[in-house]
Amino acid sequence: MSDGLVNMKQRRGLNLQGGGQIVGVLIAFVVICVVAAIVAPEFLSSYNMTIISRDLAFIGIVAIAQGMLLLLGDIDVSIGAIAGLSGIVCTKLLVDAQLDPSLAIAAGLAVGAIAGAVNGTIITMFNLNSLVVTIGMLSVYSGLNLWITKGRTIVGLPKEVTVLGGGSLMGIPVPVYIMIGAFAVILFLTTKTVYGRRLYAVGNSREAAKIIGIHEQRVRITAYAVAGSLAGLAGMLLCFRLVSAQASMGQSWLLPSIAAPVIGGIATTGGIGTIWGALLGAAIIAVLGNVIVLGGVDVYLQQVVTGAIVVIAVALDAITRKMGRG
Amino acid sequence: MSLLEARGITKRFPGVVALDAVDLRFERGEVHCIVGENGAGKSTLVKVLTGIYRPDEGDLHFEGETPPAIGYVPQELNLFEHMTVAENMFLPLKNGTIYRRKALDAAAQPFLDDLKMTCAPGDMVRDISVAEKQLLQIARALASRRSDILILDEPTASLTATEIERLFAIVEDLQARGTAIVFITHRLDEVMRLHSVVSVLRNGCVVGNSDGEDVSEAWIVSKMTGKDMDLSTLYRPRTARGTRLFRVEGLCGPEFTDISFDLHAGEILGFAGLVGAGRSEVLQTLFGMRKPSSGQAWFDDEPWVFGTPGRAISKGVMYLSEERKAHGIFPHMSVRQNVGAGLLRDVARLGVVSNAREAAATSQIIEDYRVKTASSETKIMNLSGGNQQKVLIGRGLMANPRVMIFDEPTRGIDVNAKDEIYRLMQRVAEDQQIAVVLISSEIEELLKCSNRVLSLYDGRINAEIAAEDLSEERLLASIINTGGAIHAPATTKEKAHV
Repeated sequence: MSDGLVNMKQRRGLNLQGGGQIVGVLIAFVVICVVAAIVAPEFLSSYNMTIISRDLAFIGIVAIAQGMLLLLGDIDVSIGAIAGLSGIVCTKLLVDAQLDPSLAIAAGLAVGAIAGAVNGTIITMFNLNSLVVTIGMLSVYSGLNLWITKGRTIVGLPKEVTVLGGGSLMGIPVPVYIMIGAFAVILFLTTKTVYGRRLYAVGNSREAAKIIGIHEQRVRITAYAVAGSLAGLAGMLLCFRLVSAQASMGQSWLLPSIAAPVIGGIATTGGIGTIWGALLGAAIIAVLGNVIVLGGVDVYLQQVVTGAIVVIAVALDAITRKMGRG
Repeated sequence: MSLLEARGITKRFPGVVALDAVDLRFERGEVHCIVGENGAGKSTLVKVLTGIYRPDEGDLHFEGETPPAIGYVPQELNLFEHMTVAENMFLPLKNGTIYRRKALDAAAQPFLDDLKMTCAPGDMVRDISVAEKQLLQIARALASRRSDILILDEPTASLTATEIERLFAIVEDLQARGTAIVFITHRLDEVMRLHSVVSVLRNGCVVGNSDGEDVSEAWIVSKMTGKDMDLSTLYRPRTARGTRLFRVEGLCGPEFTDISFDLHAGEILGFAGLVGAGRSEVLQTLFGMRKPSSGQAWFDDEPWVFGTPGRAISKGVMYLSEERKAHGIFPHMSVRQNVGAGLLRDVARLGVVSNAREAAATSQIIEDYRVKTASSETKIMNLSGGNQQKVLIGRGLMANPRVMIFDEPTRGIDVNAKDEIYRLMQRVAEDQQIAVVLISSEIEELLKCSNRVLSLYDGRINAEIAAEDLSEERLLASIINTGGAIHAPATTKEKAHV
């Protein structure tokens, strides 16, 4: 290649990682909303918006958590089970031990962080495949959830916490504010801090990161811990909203947690995309889920439709990437 | 008419002529040895002969109606590790046949016996030794079909003396049966032993071709070196070298033995050797990427701890990998972020990265080293190799290192950018008194830039050559271990396998 040759075909070169692609995702999101509003006028009603935003709050938090890991080229499929574990532990502490709510929530976050860190440590210490390890850990944490609850639903959460899950502020559900807060923190962490740079560096090339002295193991374990505590946050909020805890909570989050970041342009191979993508992807999934219901799609077909959309989104991403290269 | 004849084969790659009007003839029952330095065009020639590359000019001619069947044993191992020896030999199996393991194993056994291999046809390839794997590749070429021409690309690289003897017996047997053998090697003793014809490649041209009468090691070396190397511009640091930074004593690892040397501030110390001689491994061990099995080192006269890259960097030792794409750049990050990732201590306050500081450092690098990029926000993978390298070098230098290890810094980089990188190395050694280590497979590069060259062969230091004694002949002889060699290759190989 000639030295002076600078490849001018800079697809997605507008901004930092994947900045250009975010615009595409945003356009897709707007198009989906417009179509939804035309097809189902009740889509824009404030009641419906509340429903969507509440769904988005939960999906958004787990999508941000998973998005961080995908940026590293890692994945944690046990994230839903970790959410359940945190929710159950927190609920137990509030109901059985009558613990102060702030302490119980802190304990729930800690449980999530520890569970995530355990995953990360096993994966990095023995250099294992994160998918395989976390499939195993998914079973471990789900099993713990069953064992702690003995399969029963735990009820009797105090008012102070249920308002966090079910309450509204200025017409917007409280979990939405919490999700936005979590998003802002993680966005700052990944784009503005030293840790964020290391995260992207490891996601781009573990070997190159090692050579400039980045402790890739530490970076990855930290990300698993942060993702775990975010999952724990979502799990606790779900308990507060349902005013109870049960073993199966969080199980349905696995697909959206991975699909949202991927739809938003975060490559599963690591290093490409931003946390904005995870949020936008989650918004698309939340709206689509809602549209399917409004559009009167058979309840039993809904899973088929969501799954198909994810696969199409991944294929489209691969195709555009290939065209950009060619 | 020859079995196969190449006439006027020319193959160009952007910026380089890999083969320049090459004429070669391959005859039945001949062992045709092809020798040449790294980059002389040997592998390109093989790829043209085997049809992987289409030549830009010239043709291949053959006698008879059908082209000769060519068997090719590549230098690097490419076997199915998790399949059996016999499966590796016969894959892909014939269409529509039922896989019968016993029959396959029985068919494989004669080939293994021929090569006196000790593994069984049913052994998993992952469980056999490297030498056996190398032999298996040869067995595979023999088993797949009757080849009229068999190309062996440095087949002895990981074989012991006895295994090499077995291989030679096979080669001679095939030769007697009328197969044309193309034998590519760096080892002149092997050429002397086997050759019917020797062709010497240099810069893509056949510079020597003999029918075997007048061949001696001296003749081959004289042909390999030639006189067309442009050494009018040297990049050796001209200032007196400074204090000793590194003292390394008896360093041993899996790939190298008993390595001792000093490294001084303000000098460029070259590391020469064939691929696999252990050069990168020695310096990666010093840098903390690998663990030594024994040996010691001192830095600034204090014991050096063989720790992690992070620790070495904190002491001011930088390593620039030969694998620029895989181990150097962060491809999907911008030039600015690539710079920032290596200078996080300097561009961040309280854990928060300052984009402005990062951008300032980046523009300085772009300006100082004349990096050609659309902007500092361009993804680094969109820059040319030379410009990527300049960014990485600039980033390393910005951290004020005391030792810079350049591992094949000009690989895949065009001529003009090469000169810039040489000038850069010279400048930092002279002005900043940085100790520069240059690992290179290019003799010209080592001659141009080094104050001193350590030449490694088979994981040992074969020669240390001072600037005043540096000549192409001397360096080449030490790299390929001929003429006044310190040790014979066979004995070290045997030792390594005990």
